[in-house]
Amino acid sequence: MKLWRNNLLHLAKIIILSILDALAVWSATILFTEHKYIFLSVLIIVTVIINFIYLSKKTYALRYILPGTFFMILLVVYPIIYTVYVSFTNYGTGNILTKPQVINQIENRYYLPEDTEGFSFEAYKLPDQKEYAVLLKNEEGKLYLAIEEKVTEVTEADSRFVDQDNDGKIDMIGNYEHLDRAQLFKNLSVLQNLEFSLNDNILKMKSISQFSLYRQQYKYVEAEDKIIDLKNNISYFPQEGSFTSPEGEKLMPGYRTYLGWKNYFTLFTDSRVSGPFLRVFIWTFEWAILSVLTTFVLGLFLAILLNDKTLKFRKIYRVILILPYALPAFISVLIWRGLLNTEVGVINQILNTLSLQSIPWLQSVFWSRFALVVINLWLGFPYMMLISLGSLQSISGELYEAASIDGASAWQRFKFITLPLILVSLGPLLISSFAFNFNNFNVIYLFNEGGPPIVGAQTPAGGTDILISYTYRLSFESGRGADFGLASTVSIIIFMITAVITWFNFKYTGALEEVKENV
Amino acid sequence: MKKFVVFLLVLTMLFSFNALVAASEEGKLLIWADENRIKVLDTVKDEFEEEYGITVEIQEKAFGDIRDNMAVEAPSGEGPDIIVGAHDWLGNLVSNGLISPIDLGDKKDDFYPVAIDAFSWGEDVYAVPYAIESVGLIYNKDIIPDPPKNFAAFETIVSNVTNEEKEMYGFIMPQPDPYHTFPFMSAAGGYVFGTEDGKLNPNDVGLNNEGAVLGLKKLDSLYEEGSVPFVDYQTMESLFTNGQVGMMLTGPWALPALSEAGINYGFTQLPHIEGQPPKPFVGVQGFMISAFSKNKILAQTFLNEFIANKETMTALYENGSRPPVYLPSAEEAADNPDVAGVLKSASDGVPMPSIPEMASVWEAWSDALELVLTQKQDVKPALDNAVAQINKAIEASQ
Repeated sequence: MKLWRNNLLHLAKIIILSILDALAVWSATILFTEHKYIFLSVLIIVTVIINFIYLSKKTYALRYILPGTFFMILLVVYPIIYTVYVSFTNYGTGNILTKPQVINQIENRYYLPEDTEGFSFEAYKLPDQKEYAVLLKNEEGKLYLAIEEKVTEVTEADSRFVDQDNDGKIDMIGNYEHLDRAQLFKNLSVLQNLEFSLNDNILKMKSISQFSLYRQQYKYVEAEDKIIDLKNNISYFPQEGSFTSPEGEKLMPGYRTYLGWKNYFTLFTDSRVSGPFLRVFIWTFEWAILSVLTTFVLGLFLAILLNDKTLKFRKIYRVILILPYALPAFISVLIWRGLLNTEVGVINQILNTLSLQSIPWLQSVFWSRFALVVINLWLGFPYMMLISLGSLQSISGELYEAASIDGASAWQRFKFITLPLILVSLGPLLISSFAFNFNNFNVIYLFNEGGPPIVGAQTPAGGTDILISYTYRLSFESGRGADFGLASTVSIIIFMITAVITWFNFKYTGALEEVKENV
Repeated sequence: MKKFVVFLLVLTMLFSFNALVAASEEGKLLIWADENRIKVLDTVKDEFEEEYGITVEIQEKAFGDIRDNMAVEAPSGEGPDIIVGAHDWLGNLVSNGLISPIDLGDKKDDFYPVAIDAFSWGEDVYAVPYAIESVGLIYNKDIIPDPPKNFAAFETIVSNVTNEEKEMYGFIMPQPDPYHTFPFMSAAGGYVFGTEDGKLNPNDVGLNNEGAVLGLKKLDSLYEEGSVPFVDYQTMESLFTNGQVGMMLTGPWALPALSEAGINYGFTQLPHIEGQPPKPFVGVQGFMISAFSKNKILAQTFLNEFIANKETMTALYENGSRPPVYLPSAEEAADNPDVAGVLKSASDGVPMPSIPEMASVWEAWSDALELVLTQKQDVKPALDNAVAQINKAIEASQ
């Protein structure tokens, strides 16, 4: 029986693997034809590794780690590497294409020379072949025939012209058959790319009813890596992702390119960044510490109350207290924003009916910071309450019993038993909560977009902007729009700051572990 | 294991997904459009397919996503041939190399010149425009039977109607909101970017010139004496639909909600300042062609022959509520007083600057408005500081 089951499992494994392999081969051919070689090589390597690990006996143990490792690389390592890569480039508005794409686009720009002419035309095509002839007529009625890459002037009496039904329209030119309007549309994708040369000009399709004479405006010289403007005779050289003339004029569009440490350099020298940095940095810390502290204190307090078995209706209280956590923060922050509206908000209206002054919740730096901490307290205490409740359950009742016998007061029991034991298990969660609030973009941005503005500020950094919301403005709402390069640089710096903080915090909670051993 | 296999399957599908999604293909048109445009395009598509036997595929995207998705998908060859969009995307799309100029031929004269201007970049035109919008004065006819023509009359009406105890307001506009405030600042000569050789010059910011300061001072005096409350858009809209407001400043997009609420409203031009008409920002929507399209001539023909005609343009107007810019359709639509009001307001307006440097302007300008209108700073120093911030941000990006 067991043997039969093993065989069946083995068979299933082989079948699944072969389906996977078949899919991989199928995708590989598609990727190959689309020239996506990076994805192709990743696909091949991954498929080979999967097959090897699941078929070889030696790598038996690896098969349990593989899925985890694979997704860690895909979802954690790859984005980090990519962010680091982007921080060394100028990727952003005006520089999103690759250099070959830009050269191709600029080389395909034509202008109408002074001696340009428009031609009406009829198109002809060899049956079953993608070979075309175009009969052109200029405004003076002169006829030209573009055939086999050459253009010649012709007369209506040309021997190749055949008018089968004698309606004055030429139905065939040699073996080329006339295309009616519908056929013309079907062949448009080829016709629009036809180019003939006539009197040093390029003869090209201008619209569905017209050909016109053009001249190429730009030419790329590969040997010197420059673009020449043939019309105005100016050379453009690559400079930080744009072809730039000696006078500093840039050709649009620019391309993505490697900038070295420039973004990092900008971050540390640009007064727009360094000016408000200290103010923003200090408030970010205050914000993160206040957020964790207030939510934890309130959460723990309520958890201890709810943990009291003599309390009636405990379940109902718990449900009500968890509600703020169940509502999406996106919506509740916007509701708070409405409630705290200075002119028409409910909270100020209540204050007014109590004959108190309106509070400028959104316009004063102090009050908007105060409001943010309160909102975050409302959003965050249920989480702290939940984890504290779980942690409280794990503390043995005997400890409290022993403490009572020794004559410890309620406060002493809390201070010497509950708090140390709870911090052991909750310490890491508090640290992650700190790191989360350090980068809590949503609450800050949804409440007041980092505002209120500060009088005389050198750059639009508001009174409640934290590092992440401030740099978001800097990288996405400033300059020429999005600057992904700078944004990546900033996120790497912020990552380093939070990493250092977290490291210190872990050392600190590591010390707490010893408390546990001593108890 | 089972989950893992499913994951892998999904992954393999993802790798090969490139081949499955719709992309610009030779001999076939792919259009990205938003919900309201699709209703009209579906009929046009059938006619085009029937007449020329060319397949047209229309993909629905949220209006705001179209621009962002272009930046990602067009360069990798997966973008559309034609997109629907707004003229203020132009700077972004052109400087990113994502759209191509369109040859409108003789049809160019069939549009409002301001619409063609808005979609022009240098000598090239980049879209077939279909709709125009600009802000104006929306007034409640039951409270204000006769809207003011000049600022003095406007001030009188505002202070007469405003009564804080009854929660009645003479005039409301959203703040801090540069877009809505610009008409007051532009009337006497304020501008965002100056023009040089027919192009906007990002190094010439005119938001703190005499005209801009004068206009904002006039507006600020109303806030200072407490006649106008400092509220955001949603609050303004709900107060107006409650019938608590005499006049509000916003665009035609607010009108459907007003008729629904049964408000007897009118749409007219904002009051003149110093005898000058206010120049609101004009926004224009249009159809553009991707620089990565493999069917540029086909796309151009589709737009010139099947979109730029009275039937389609009128249908686009009827499905979108914004006034048409195609003259034959606009003349007909102007029978509707709302449309006539918007067109009148827009005819004195200026296209909202579409150069990418505009990104540097909004925040600094909005901060200055907040400081001024909440009486924390005077008009002149606040605007001077905003312009200094803008210049700095633009310099850093050059």
